Amino acid sequence: MKMKRIPRIGIGGPVGSGKSMLIERVVPMLAAKGYSISIISNDVISKEDADRMRENLATKRGLLPENLVIGLATGGCPHTAVREDPSMNISVIEELEEKHPELDLIIIESGGDNITTTFSPRLADYFIYIIDVAGGDKYPRKGGLGIESCDLLVINKTDLAPLVGASLEIMKDDAQRIRGKRPFVFVNCMTDEGVGTVAGRIIHDVLFDSEKA
Amino acid sequence: MLRITSISGNIHDGRPHDADSEHLCMSRIELEKSRLRRETDGGTDVGLSLDPGMTLRDGDILAGGNRPIIIRQLAERVISVKLDDPGMRVLAGHIIGNRHRPIAVENDVIYFPAQADSELEVFEKLFAGIGATLSMEKRVFTPHTGAEIHEH
Repeated sequence: MKMKRIPRIGIGGPVGSGKSMLIERVVPMLAAKGYSISIISNDVISKEDADRMRENLATKRGLLPENLVIGLATGGCPHTAVREDPSMNISVIEELEEKHPELDLIIIESGGDNITTTFSPRLADYFIYIIDVAGGDKYPRKGGLGIESCDLLVINKTDLAPLVGASLEIMKDDAQRIRGKRPFVFVNCMTDEGVGTVAGRIIHDVLFDSEKA
Repeated sequence: MLRITSISGNIHDGRPHDADSEHLCMSRIELEKSRLRRETDGGTDVGLSLDPGMTLRDGDILAGGNRPIIIRQLAERVISVKLDDPGMRVLAGHIIGNRHRPIAVENDVIYFPAQADSELEVFEKLFAGIGATLSMEKRVFTPHTGAEIHEH
Protein backbone atom coordinates (compact mmCIF):
# COMPACT_ATOMS: atom_id res chain seq x y z
CA MET A 1 0.00 0.00 0.00
CA LYS A 2 1.33 3.40 -0.93
CA MET A 3 1.66 5.59 2.14
CA LYS A 4 0.88 9.26 2.25
CA ARG A 5 4.04 11.32 2.11
CA ILE A 6 3.97 13.82 4.94
CA PRO A 7 5.69 17.15 4.19
CA ARG A 8 9.00 17.54 6.02
CA ILE A 9 11.12 20.50 6.95
CA GLY A 10 14.73 20.32 8.09
CA ILE A 11 16.21 22.81 10.52
CA GLY A 12 19.99 23.08 10.70
CA GLY A 13 22.54 25.49 12.07
CA PRO A 14 25.52 25.87 14.37
CA VAL A 15 25.52 24.69 17.98
CA GLY A 16 23.58 27.14 20.15
CA SER A 17 22.05 29.11 17.26
CA GLY A 18 18.51 28.32 18.44
CA LYS A 19 17.30 25.34 16.40
CA SER A 20 15.34 23.74 19.25
CA MET A 21 14.15 27.13 20.48
CA LEU A 22 12.80 28.02 17.05
CA ILE A 23 10.89 24.74 17.01
CA GLU A 24 9.54 25.43 20.51
CA ARG A 25 8.28 28.81 19.31
CA VAL A 26 6.95 27.92 15.88
CA VAL A 27 5.13 24.67 16.79
CA PRO A 28 2.57 26.40 19.07
CA MET A 29 1.74 28.83 16.24
CA LEU A 30 1.21 25.99 13.77
CA ALA A 31 -0.70 23.89 16.32
CA ALA A 32 -3.02 26.86 17.00
CA LYS A 33 -3.94 26.80 13.31
CA GLY A 34 -4.87 23.13 13.58
CA TYR A 35 -1.80 21.45 12.09
CA SER A 36 -0.65 18.10 13.49
CA ILE A 37 3.11 17.95 13.86
CA SER A 38 5.82 15.48 14.80
CA ILE A 39 9.38 16.46 15.72
CA ILE A 40 12.55 14.42 15.20
CA SER A 41 15.59 15.84 16.95
CA ASN A 42 19.00 14.56 15.88
CA ASP A 43 21.96 14.89 18.18
CA VAL A 44 25.30 13.15 18.31
CA ILE A 45 25.04 11.56 21.74
CA SER A 46 22.48 13.48 23.78
CA LYS A 47 18.69 13.45 23.67
CA GLU A 48 18.45 16.54 25.86
CA ASP A 49 16.90 18.79 23.20
CA ALA A 50 14.24 16.21 22.38
CA ASP A 51 13.49 15.73 26.08
CA ARG A 52 13.15 19.50 26.57
CA MET A 53 10.87 19.97 23.56
CA ARG A 54 8.75 16.99 24.66
CA GLU A 55 8.45 18.45 28.16
CA ASN A 56 7.60 21.97 26.97
CA LEU A 57 5.40 21.23 23.96
CA ALA A 58 3.81 17.87 24.77
CA THR A 59 3.81 17.22 28.52
CA LYS A 60 3.14 20.77 29.72
CA ARG A 61 1.07 22.19 26.87
CA GLY A 62 -0.41 19.15 25.18
CA LEU A 63 0.26 20.56 21.70
CA LEU A 64 1.23 17.12 20.40
CA PRO A 65 1.43 13.62 21.85
CA GLU A 66 4.62 12.89 23.81
CA ASN A 67 5.54 9.96 21.57
CA LEU A 68 5.64 12.28 18.54
CA VAL A 69 8.73 14.11 19.83
CA ILE A 70 11.49 11.70 18.91
CA GLY A 71 15.15 11.97 19.90
CA LEU A 72 17.73 10.35 17.61
CA ALA A 73 21.25 9.90 18.95
CA THR A 74 23.10 9.52 15.70
CA GLY A 75 26.74 9.15 16.70
CA GLY A 76 29.45 10.48 14.37
CA CYS A 77 29.34 13.82 12.54
CA PRO A 78 26.01 15.63 12.98
CA HIS A 79 25.56 16.29 9.26
CA THR A 80 25.97 12.63 8.37
CA ALA A 81 22.50 11.68 9.61
CA VAL A 82 20.69 14.35 7.59
CA ARG A 83 22.77 14.47 4.43
CA GLU A 84 25.12 11.61 3.52
CA ASP A 85 23.17 8.77 5.03
CA PRO A 86 19.73 9.85 6.18
CA SER A 87 18.53 6.24 6.47
CA MET A 88 18.10 6.42 10.25
CA ASN A 89 15.80 9.44 9.91
CA ILE A 90 14.00 8.03 6.89
CA SER A 91 13.15 4.80 8.72
CA VAL A 92 11.65 6.82 11.60
CA ILE A 93 9.66 8.91 9.11
CA GLU A 94 8.36 5.84 7.30
CA GLU A 95 7.13 4.47 10.60
CA LEU A 96 5.43 7.79 11.36
CA GLU A 97 3.80 7.84 7.92
CA GLU A 98 2.47 4.36 8.50
CA LYS A 99 1.19 4.84 12.05
CA HIS A 100 0.22 8.52 11.91
CA PRO A 101 -1.18 9.41 8.49
CA GLU A 102 -3.08 12.24 10.20
CA LEU A 103 0.14 14.25 10.53
CA ASP A 104 0.47 17.44 8.44
CA LEU A 105 4.15 18.10 9.02
CA ILE A 106 7.34 16.49 10.29
CA ILE A 107 10.07 18.80 11.60
CA ILE A 108 13.59 17.34 11.55
CA GLU A 109 16.20 19.11 13.63
CA SER A 110 19.81 18.33 12.77
CA GLY A 111 22.60 18.22 15.29
CA GLY A 112 24.52 21.48 15.65
CA ASP A 113 26.95 21.75 12.78
CA ASN A 114 28.97 24.14 10.68
CA ILE A 115 28.15 26.38 7.71
CA THR A 116 28.18 23.54 5.21
CA THR A 117 25.15 21.79 6.69
CA THR A 118 22.46 20.86 4.21
CA PHE A 119 19.66 18.31 4.25
CA SER A 120 19.42 15.55 1.70
CA PRO A 121 16.47 16.40 -0.58
CA ARG A 122 15.37 12.80 0.01
CA LEU A 123 14.89 13.66 3.67
CA ALA A 124 13.58 17.25 3.77
CA ASP A 125 11.39 19.21 1.36
CA TYR A 126 12.25 22.55 2.89
CA PHE A 127 15.47 23.59 4.59
CA ILE A 128 15.64 26.28 7.26
CA TYR A 129 19.15 27.34 8.23
CA ILE A 130 19.47 29.31 11.45
CA ILE A 131 22.40 31.40 12.62
CA ASP A 132 22.56 33.91 15.44
CA VAL A 133 23.69 37.47 15.83
CA ALA A 134 26.10 36.53 18.62
CA GLY A 135 28.18 34.60 16.07
CA GLY A 136 29.17 38.03 14.66
CA ASP A 137 27.78 40.18 11.86
CA LYS A 138 30.25 38.62 9.41
CA TYR A 139 28.23 35.38 9.39
CA PRO A 140 25.91 35.94 6.39
CA ARG A 141 28.64 37.24 4.07
CA LYS A 142 30.90 34.28 4.81
CA GLY A 143 28.36 32.23 2.89
CA GLY A 144 28.59 28.46 2.82
CA LEU A 145 26.18 25.87 1.52
CA GLY A 146 23.75 26.22 4.44
CA ILE A 147 23.36 29.99 4.16
CA GLU A 148 23.35 30.00 0.37
CA SER A 149 21.21 27.00 -0.44
CA CYS A 150 18.58 26.97 2.33
CA ASP A 151 14.98 27.80 1.54
CA LEU A 152 14.76 30.21 4.47
CA LEU A 153 17.64 31.81 6.37
CA VAL A 154 16.75 32.69 9.96
CA ILE A 155 18.95 35.10 11.94
CA ASN A 156 18.21 34.69 15.64
CA LYS A 157 18.91 36.63 18.85
CA THR A 158 18.49 40.13 17.40
CA ASP A 159 18.31 41.48 20.97
CA LEU A 160 21.97 40.57 21.49
CA ALA A 161 23.24 42.74 18.62
CA PRO A 162 24.18 45.80 20.74
CA LEU A 163 25.77 43.59 23.39
CA VAL A 164 28.14 41.85 20.98
CA GLY A 165 28.79 44.83 18.70
CA ALA A 166 26.99 43.28 15.72
CA SER A 167 25.27 45.43 13.10
CA LEU A 168 21.89 44.12 11.95
CA GLU A 169 22.14 46.47 8.95
CA ILE A 170 25.35 44.78 7.79
CA MET A 171 23.80 41.34 8.29
CA LYS A 172 20.72 42.41 6.32
CA ASP A 173 22.73 43.84 3.41
CA ASP A 174 25.01 40.78 3.24
CA ALA A 175 22.10 38.34 3.48
CA GLN A 176 20.34 40.16 0.64
CA ARG A 177 23.46 40.08 -1.50
CA ILE A 178 24.23 36.39 -0.84
CA ARG A 179 20.63 35.17 -1.07
CA GLY A 180 19.31 37.28 -3.94
CA LYS A 181 15.56 36.91 -4.08
CA ARG A 182 15.42 34.05 -1.61
CA PRO A 183 14.06 34.91 1.82
CA PHE A 184 15.69 35.54 5.17
CA VAL A 185 14.16 36.70 8.40
CA PHE A 186 15.41 38.23 11.66
CA VAL A 187 13.93 36.61 14.76
CA ASN A 188 14.19 36.76 18.49
CA CYS A 189 12.97 33.45 19.85
CA MET A 190 12.80 34.86 23.37
CA THR A 191 10.06 37.32 22.38
CA ASP A 192 8.59 35.62 19.28
CA GLU A 193 9.65 38.59 17.12
CA GLY A 194 9.74 37.32 13.53
CA VAL A 195 8.64 33.79 14.46
CA GLY A 196 5.20 34.40 12.94
CA THR A 197 6.93 35.09 9.63
CA VAL A 198 8.67 31.70 9.84
CA ALA A 199 5.33 30.00 10.59
CA GLY A 200 3.75 31.88 7.66
CA ARG A 201 6.49 30.71 5.31
CA ILE A 202 6.04 27.09 6.41
CA ILE A 203 2.28 27.32 5.92
CA HIS A 204 2.62 28.85 2.45
CA ASP A 205 5.72 27.15 1.04
CA VAL A 206 5.48 23.66 2.58
CA LEU A 207 1.88 23.08 3.62
CA PHE A 208 0.57 24.82 0.48
CA ASP A 209 -2.04 26.74 2.42
CA SER A 210 -3.06 30.28 1.71
CA GLU A 211 -1.14 32.24 4.32
CA LYS A 212 1.74 34.16 2.84
CA ALA A 213 4.47 35.61 4.99
CA MET B 1 -2.38 27.52 -6.41
CA LEU B 2 -1.98 24.97 -9.19
CA ARG B 3 -1.12 21.61 -7.63
CA ILE B 4 1.05 19.37 -9.79
CA THR B 5 1.75 15.75 -8.93
CA SER B 6 3.29 14.32 -12.09
CA ILE B 7 5.59 15.10 -15.01
CA SER B 8 4.02 14.79 -18.43
CA GLY B 9 7.17 14.62 -20.55
CA ASN B 10 10.42 16.35 -21.41
CA ILE B 11 11.15 18.69 -24.30
CA HIS B 12 14.61 17.12 -24.72
CA ASP B 13 13.01 13.75 -25.51
CA GLY B 14 11.71 15.16 -28.75
CA ARG B 15 8.23 15.54 -27.37
CA PRO B 16 6.42 18.32 -29.20
CA HIS B 17 5.28 21.10 -26.95
CA ASP B 18 3.23 24.18 -27.24
CA ALA B 19 5.38 27.22 -27.95
CA ASP B 20 3.04 29.18 -25.74
CA SER B 21 4.36 27.95 -22.41
CA GLU B 22 5.45 29.23 -19.04
CA HIS B 23 8.77 28.52 -17.36
CA LEU B 24 9.81 27.58 -13.88
CA CYS B 25 13.49 28.35 -13.31
CA MET B 26 15.13 26.24 -10.61
CA SER B 27 18.60 25.52 -9.29
CA ARG B 28 20.09 22.03 -9.51
CA ILE B 29 19.57 21.55 -5.78
CA GLU B 30 15.91 22.58 -6.05
CA LEU B 31 15.38 20.08 -8.85
CA GLU B 32 16.07 17.26 -6.40
CA LYS B 33 13.09 18.21 -4.25
CA SER B 34 9.79 16.43 -4.62
CA ARG B 35 7.76 19.12 -2.88
CA LEU B 36 8.03 22.87 -3.34
CA ARG B 37 6.03 25.98 -4.13
CA ARG B 38 7.17 28.48 -6.72
CA GLU B 39 5.82 31.04 -9.16
CA THR B 40 6.39 30.65 -12.92
CA ASP B 41 7.58 33.48 -15.15
CA GLY B 42 3.95 33.80 -16.20
CA GLY B 43 2.88 34.38 -12.61
CA THR B 44 1.27 30.96 -12.01
CA ASP B 45 1.51 29.86 -8.38
CA VAL B 46 2.64 26.20 -8.56
CA GLY B 47 2.64 23.69 -5.69
CA LEU B 48 4.70 20.72 -6.75
CA SER B 49 4.13 17.45 -4.91
CA LEU B 50 5.75 14.52 -6.69
CA ASP B 51 5.84 10.90 -5.61
CA PRO B 52 8.86 9.98 -3.46
CA GLY B 53 11.92 9.29 -5.57
CA MET B 54 10.63 11.25 -8.55
CA THR B 55 12.75 14.31 -9.32
CA LEU B 56 12.72 17.00 -11.96
CA ARG B 57 15.20 17.64 -14.74
CA ASP B 58 15.76 20.44 -17.19
CA GLY B 59 13.08 20.43 -19.86
CA ASP B 60 10.40 18.58 -17.90
CA ILE B 61 6.86 19.56 -18.84
CA LEU B 62 4.23 20.08 -16.16
CA ALA B 63 0.66 19.97 -17.36
CA GLY B 64 -2.58 20.89 -15.66
CA GLY B 65 -2.60 24.67 -15.95
CA ASN B 66 -3.85 26.89 -18.72
CA ARG B 67 -0.51 26.57 -20.49
CA PRO B 68 2.23 23.92 -20.18
CA ILE B 69 4.99 24.78 -17.70
CA ILE B 70 8.56 23.92 -18.65
CA ILE B 71 11.30 23.41 -16.07
CA ARG B 72 14.50 25.33 -16.73
CA GLN B 73 17.59 24.53 -14.72
CA LEU B 74 19.59 27.62 -13.76
CA ALA B 75 23.25 27.90 -14.66
CA GLU B 76 25.62 27.71 -11.69
CA ARG B 77 29.25 28.39 -10.90
CA VAL B 78 31.43 25.44 -11.90
CA ILE B 79 35.14 24.74 -12.19
CA SER B 80 36.36 22.98 -15.32
CA VAL B 81 39.52 20.87 -15.35
CA LYS B 82 41.35 19.93 -18.52
CA LEU B 83 44.22 17.54 -17.88
CA ASP B 84 47.43 17.75 -19.91
CA ASP B 85 47.85 13.98 -19.51
CA PRO B 86 44.63 11.90 -19.46
CA GLY B 87 46.57 9.30 -17.46
CA MET B 88 46.16 11.59 -14.47
CA ARG B 89 42.38 11.14 -14.39
CA VAL B 90 42.42 8.93 -11.31
CA LEU B 91 44.40 11.53 -9.38
CA ALA B 92 41.96 14.24 -10.52
CA GLY B 93 39.05 12.10 -9.36
CA HIS B 94 40.77 11.59 -6.03
CA ILE B 95 41.21 15.34 -5.51
CA ILE B 96 37.63 16.26 -6.43
CA GLY B 97 36.12 13.24 -4.70
CA ASN B 98 37.90 14.10 -1.49
CA ARG B 99 35.97 17.41 -1.53
CA HIS B 100 32.73 15.46 -1.98
CA ARG B 101 31.71 17.21 -5.21
CA PRO B 102 29.57 15.69 -7.92
CA ILE B 103 31.23 15.69 -11.35
CA ALA B 104 30.30 15.74 -14.99
CA VAL B 105 32.63 14.83 -17.84
CA GLU B 106 32.17 16.24 -21.32
CA ASN B 107 34.71 16.02 -24.16
CA ASP B 108 37.51 15.12 -21.72
CA VAL B 109 36.79 18.14 -19.54
CA ILE B 110 35.78 17.51 -15.91
CA TYR B 111 33.25 19.88 -14.36
CA PHE B 112 32.24 20.23 -10.72
CA PRO B 113 30.32 22.88 -8.74
CA ALA B 114 32.24 25.63 -6.97
CA GLN B 115 30.98 27.02 -3.70
CA ALA B 116 32.85 30.35 -3.92
CA ASP B 117 34.91 32.34 -6.42
CA SER B 118 37.96 31.80 -4.21
CA GLU B 119 37.79 28.06 -4.82
CA LEU B 120 39.45 28.37 -8.22
CA GLU B 121 42.70 29.33 -6.49
CA VAL B 122 42.26 26.52 -3.94
CA PHE B 123 41.83 23.88 -6.63
CA GLU B 124 44.65 25.30 -8.76
CA LYS B 125 46.93 24.64 -5.79
CA LEU B 126 45.53 21.13 -5.35
CA PHE B 127 46.10 20.37 -9.03
CA ALA B 128 49.59 21.89 -9.09
CA GLY B 129 52.03 19.24 -10.21
CA ILE B 130 49.46 17.16 -12.07
CA GLY B 131 49.41 19.36 -15.16
CA ALA B 132 45.95 20.76 -15.67
CA THR B 133 44.20 23.92 -16.84
CA LEU B 134 41.43 25.09 -14.55
CA SER B 135 38.84 27.78 -15.13
CA MET B 136 35.59 28.94 -13.64
CA GLU B 137 32.41 29.45 -15.60
CA LYS B 138 28.64 29.49 -15.25
CA ARG B 139 26.82 26.61 -16.88
CA VAL B 140 23.92 24.24 -16.40
CA PHE B 141 25.49 21.40 -14.45
CA THR B 142 24.07 17.89 -14.73
CA PRO B 143 25.99 15.56 -12.43
CA HIS B 144 27.02 12.06 -13.31
CA THR B 145 24.62 9.90 -11.32
CA GLY B 146 26.51 6.62 -11.15
CA ALA B 147 27.09 7.12 -7.43
CA GLU B 148 25.01 8.99 -4.92
CA ILE B 149 27.07 12.05 -4.16
CA HIS B 150 26.58 14.79 -1.65
CA GLU B 151 28.33 18.12 -1.33
CA HIS B 152 29.73 20.03 1.58
